[in-house]
Amino acid sequence: MPDGNQTIIGQPAIRIDGRAKVTGMARYASDEVVANPAHAFLVTSAIARGRIRGFRLDAARAVPGILDILMHGNVGGEAEKPKPMSGGDTTTTLESDRVWHDGQIIAVVLAESFEAAREAAHKVEVDYEAEPPSATFGSPGVEEEVRKAGEHKDYKVGDAEASFAVAEVKVDARYGTPTQHHNPIELFTTTCEWRGGKLTVYEPSQFVYGLRGSLAKQLRMDPGDIHVVSRFVGGAFGSRGGITARTAWIAVAARRLNRPVRLVATRDQGFTIVTYRAETRHHIQLGATRDGRLTALRHEGWEVTSRPSEYNVSGTETTARVYACPNILTKVNIVHADRNTPGFMRAPPETPYMFPLEVAMDELAVALNMDPVELRRINDTQTDPATGKPYSSRSLMPCFDQAAERFGWKGRNPAPGTMRDGDWQVGWGCATAAYPANIGPAAARVTLTLEGKARVQIAAHDIGTGAYTVIAITAADRLGLEIGKVVVELGGSELPAAGLAAGSSHTAGICNAVAKACEGVRQRLAQAAVTSNDGPLAGQDPAKLTLSAGALRAPGGAAEDLPKALARVTTGVLEVYAENIPKGLPPESIGKVYQGQMAMSRGHSREDATTYTFGAQFVEVRVHALTREVRVPRAVGAFAAGTIVNPLTAHSQYMGGMIWGISAALHEATEIDPHAARYVNDNIAEYLMPVNADVRSIEVIMVPEQDAQVNPLGIKGIGEIGIVGMNAAISNAVWHATGRRIRDLPIRIEDLL
Amino acid sequence: MDVLLKVNGTEHRLAVDVRTTLLDALRERLELTGTKKGCDLGQCGACTVLLDGMRVLSCFTLAVAAQEAEITTIEGLAGENKPLHPMQKAFLEQDAYQCGYCTPGQILSAIACVQEGHANSADQIREYMSGNLCRCAAYPKIVAAVQQAKLLMEGP
Ligand code: FES
Ligand code: FES
Repeated sequence: MPDGNQTIIGQPAIRIDGRAKVTGMARYASDEVVANPAHAFLVTSAIARGRIRGFRLDAARAVPGILDILMHGNVGGEAEKPKPMSGGDTTTTLESDRVWHDGQIIAVVLAESFEAAREAAHKVEVDYEAEPPSATFGSPGVEEEVRKAGEHKDYKVGDAEASFAVAEVKVDARYGTPTQHHNPIELFTTTCEWRGGKLTVYEPSQFVYGLRGSLAKQLRMDPGDIHVVSRFVGGAFGSRGGITARTAWIAVAARRLNRPVRLVATRDQGFTIVTYRAETRHHIQLGATRDGRLTALRHEGWEVTSRPSEYNVSGTETTARVYACPNILTKVNIVHADRNTPGFMRAPPETPYMFPLEVAMDELAVALNMDPVELRRINDTQTDPATGKPYSSRSLMPCFDQAAERFGWKGRNPAPGTMRDGDWQVGWGCATAAYPANIGPAAARVTLTLEGKARVQIAAHDIGTGAYTVIAITAADRLGLEIGKVVVELGGSELPAAGLAAGSSHTAGICNAVAKACEGVRQRLAQAAVTSNDGPLAGQDPAKLTLSAGALRAPGGAAEDLPKALARVTTGVLEVYAENIPKGLPPESIGKVYQGQMAMSRGHSREDATTYTFGAQFVEVRVHALTREVRVPRAVGAFAAGTIVNPLTAHSQYMGGMIWGISAALHEATEIDPHAARYVNDNIAEYLMPVNADVRSIEVIMVPEQDAQVNPLGIKGIGEIGIVGMNAAISNAVWHATGRRIRDLPIRIEDLL
Repeated sequence: MDVLLKVNGTEHRLAVDVRTTLLDALRERLELTGTKKGCDLGQCGACTVLLDGMRVLSCFTLAVAAQEAEITTIEGLAGENKPLHPMQKAFLEQDAYQCGYCTPGQILSAIACVQEGHANSADQIREYMSGNLCRCAAYPKIVAAVQQAKLLMEGP
């Protein structure tokens, strides 16, 4: 498609949905008004493994206002369990009397008010047949297996074992990352309303078509009879990617009561009724020559999942290709425990897997007596070492150089424990961030009116990422309009399909689809203008005409105002629908999205090239000499992610990701009772997340990068990469401050005593 | 039981369960859904409203206990097509949010923070805004927004 003048893409723009957000007018799912809803309250299991023998419900049924109680015994056959986006099978809820994990949904209480539903739910008594559960790694009764290749694959290049055995310099260490929960501030809610045989579901979602498709199967309905609405999402971070069990039961409840039903699950229920980031373990072996070239890389990972699920993130798909290395071997194992099924959480594979690699690289730099940035430079490559394919673009070292410069890295004394400021031991550390540039198929409809306004419709998701605004920017850029002239409709399954908003794939997927629909508009207008007998553009080459500043323009300066150009093709509105199928995906992949299935071209599995975003992250930590408190007064991240559509919201994304990294390194962990297999700190006072006072200077550098190969607009995606290098950078800085090498996250005071 | 709530200058008479929180009364009964529920446990600040100008957690305030006060919610700061409050404008311009779910609570808390005289330095703002969690982690921009709005709220 001919390039627009691109004066709007890349300029910072205030969110078009910003006014709605600051005035309280933005309608999140549980804000949608339905008539006279009944309120649902979940009853969840108090054991982690066993069976339900029966319920004693007299006390619950005596609560004034109670309407109904859903259990296996009365509704179990009315829905099937959901199919997760990844990992195959999952646990049941009301379909069976089986208990797979603590906090599993076992009954749904319905009442006239929230207060009555809560009271009645607390009065439900359950008789269990309990068995001893297995909580996590090392618990008796867990089942370990090698992850089969399928969704993810392993890499074997050269002979890593033999090369490691003879390597001149070696690092051989084990690492661990904890359980984490997304904890978006918006709770997990579902509101269902039936009209005739048609169901409307209001639920925060990262994939409305996925929710619709799965729910249709679960309820044995025609997907066309289900409408999913999710206009605003109060944070997601992966937690709203796949449908979870609650949705079908709220739909069943609304059908039984013949009345809308609203569920606002409690914060602690949010730890067990949706997914989470599972704990991981790693064994890394690095071999290198004395001058710092890697000769061997082995990375073996272990991940926890539920009993029936094979979910795993396999971040070795990234760690195998970050550095030039002739001998690579990766392997991933999964460990089944009596837990809920894990799922995507911000940078699902890279957050837990890049941590061990990047700490190991720091350890290697120490063993070599080499600057850690220089070690990265020596092992930088423009060729994917795992496949031999070229990187479509890779700006890792420009990121390192710009971030190091801004940070003041050259003032670092490499010896640990040598920088001090009063009572504080000061340490500086850095790490590489890498994330695949993924993209999914998407469809969009663009409607242009005679008043020169555009409406863009696409079932995209704005989970805080700024999707509303990047869509408006793209359309404005391509149609030659001001952003304020573009109206965006998203977040509903009545709109042209877009895929899962995850894996940093969404902006690339949706903006390319919108651009394609706009190109269709341009072509229609151009064709009519050049074939007319009278207009100023008659006889021009239609391929050379562009839309800019409210007119259709030819290279020589001839132009026709948009309303006139539009009047040549329509007396009403011009509507163009387009589907964008990313390179390497079959044409039918858009059909899969309409059916609610995952379709994604992933940065490490393309035929033509490996497509990745890279970044470099630097942090300063301060460890108090007496209390061992750890602080991060400043962090600098530089990232090269191709085209940045909106630098204002991109900055927020990168910054948020970096703070997530600080949080993961120093604060976050879900503690598990090893005997009860139960989450202990299941609330957001005890599940530690940063507050405003925990965060100081966060600097973001956007390194310019153009990549014409990755996709037509050159967009790589930015939502995940900000977190990726932070864990290791902080651990490396703690080593530099104290001489202590911490290989298990989060880093706590007790690790530094 | 019957209660009388004065919200954004309008009186509302309604019958509530004695256990009903101010948050649920606003959201479920008065359709003022700008006030958000993020925990229902007093841990997140998303439900922050002003009671006679003081910031309170509406999930930790029973509706029956809020009867005497002038209640201000996010909807009370600027009507449709009306100019934004300086704090709203500052959040918009600084991009001091991502998902926007914590934002109504942040904005009301921030207004109170300035009015309490607790916005005299970045450090003080960070400390006095730490009762409002933002999982999207817009914290540095929230500090910038409070600083921007403070100038306008207090005049030259
Ligand atoms: S909802 Fe009131 S503090 Fe979280
Ligand atoms: S903007 Fe999402 S929680 Fe603050």
